[in-house]
Amino acid sequence: MIEVRQITKSTKEGVPILKGISFTITKGEFVGILGPSGAGKTLTMRCLNGLTRPTSGEVLFTDHQNNLVNLTHAKGRELRKARRQIGVIFQGFNLVKRLSAIDNVMIGQLGRINLLRSLFYGFTDDEAMRALAVLEHLKIAHLAQRPVGSLSGGEQQRVAIARAIYQQPSVMLADEPIANLDPTNARKIMQILKPLAEQMPIIGVFHQPDLVMEFCTRIIALKDGVVVRDGDNKMTRSELIDLYGAELSEIEASQRILQPV
Amino acid sequence: MNVSLDKQYLPSERYKRHAAYLSVLALVIIGLCTYFKFEPLLFITDFHYMADLVVEMTPPNFEVLWRKEKIFISILQTLSMAFLGTLVGSTVAMGLAFLAARNTTPHPTVGVIVRTLLAIERVIPSLVILLLFLIAVGLGPFAGMLSLAVGTVGMFGKLFANAIEGAEKEPIDAVYSVGASKLQVIRYAVMPQVLPSFIANLFYAFDINLRAAIGLGVFGGAGVGYEISMAMRLVRYRDALALICFTILLVFVVEKLSDWLRSRALGQDLLK
Repeated sequence: MIEVRQITKSTKEGVPILKGISFTITKGEFVGILGPSGAGKTLTMRCLNGLTRPTSGEVLFTDHQNNLVNLTHAKGRELRKARRQIGVIFQGFNLVKRLSAIDNVMIGQLGRINLLRSLFYGFTDDEAMRALAVLEHLKIAHLAQRPVGSLSGGEQQRVAIARAIYQQPSVMLADEPIANLDPTNARKIMQILKPLAEQMPIIGVFHQPDLVMEFCTRIIALKDGVVVRDGDNKMTRSELIDLYGAELSEIEASQRILQPV
Repeated sequence: MNVSLDKQYLPSERYKRHAAYLSVLALVIIGLCTYFKFEPLLFITDFHYMADLVVEMTPPNFEVLWRKEKIFISILQTLSMAFLGTLVGSTVAMGLAFLAARNTTPHPTVGVIVRTLLAIERVIPSLVILLLFLIAVGLGPFAGMLSLAVGTVGMFGKLFANAIEGAEKEPIDAVYSVGASKLQVIRYAVMPQVLPSFIANLFYAFDINLRAAIGLGVFGGAGVGYEISMAMRLVRYRDALALICFTILLVFVVEKLSDWLRSRALGQDLLK
């Protein structure tokens, strides 16, 4: 479970970007965050996994063992411990391109294994088999030994999801996970994420209102650094126009062009 | 006509400017030659000395290569000076590079200090470093090896640090986000990105160091360089030419070998 309490974030010059955002996400939810460019979606995500510290407010996080971690104040060992519980899927996949797919998946558990062993020996055969099982689950086991740099975007994002699953987190964050993918692959990734959300809540930033309405269980809409809507997965067209303004026509146009035939 | 070019853009002005630069350069060259009593004409008038030397050097006395056991050892000395110097130097350079690079340094101050030290070290001529080591550890291959190692650190410390700073940031973010520590991030997100360039440069450093080892040997009293200079001083020109021929062959073979190993090391990495 992850609870966001009134977080704000300002630039160095003091310009407020996030102006008090609150929400709580619990088991079984697949939350889609929507909003126009510059609404503060990505910044909110960075605050959620401690890559950025909010100016005020708190991000509280309950792990598998019901320990409460305050991500806003966690440092060093405590922060690393909390991060282990949070899986992250990135827009640019963020894989180590020269390593094989399976090595990239095994990186998911670096936070859990012995430091000396990880530095001088590496991973065990047993870990490799478990990582392979995750790749198998995502139907890309045949790519396990290939360097990630040689895989397609959709395949790379699947490896990145495998890394996040292998990490065994309590919650999964996804920052525009399908923005770099073609519509067919974007849909496939959403089909992978949906059942996953039953095991761990997923919070994702998306640019495709239609896919979010189809797959997510809840939509949070951000605009100008505040939550303007938090509710079920149905948004009417007029709500979308209110949220996106002129940007909506661009989003719809790109969706029409890219729609799979 | 109302439009006009600035004076400096007129072709005639440009021509005058170039002429002026060239005359200054010519004056400097003539001045320096006069001051140091250089006589380009000597090349022509005294060329017979060169010809005489060539006559005296031929045919090369290749027997020296196997008659004198010492020669074999001296070649081994040169090779091991270059090999160990490269290995020790690049290992130290790699360690320092991680301390110097802005994205892996344990503390910004440490980074500044290491970068400054590397910059200072780079400007010290290798001969000076050799002289210092000669005083410290005496004549011989060890001093040569040490000064090659120091030279390699200077050559590659900054290069490696730049390679580390050029590593992609996204995978680094991702590895941090699974809860990895800084050392693990270096090992799993940075090393795989920079290792191929490290390896390629390692072979390159060995090529350079082998040549330097021959030169340093003349002063350090070790290796095949020393043997060549001794043969010249003792007026054993035919021995000297044999050694020179052999050294050229050695450098050529080693260079080809390291080219081949380098492309293999890099090629495999891409195919894996």
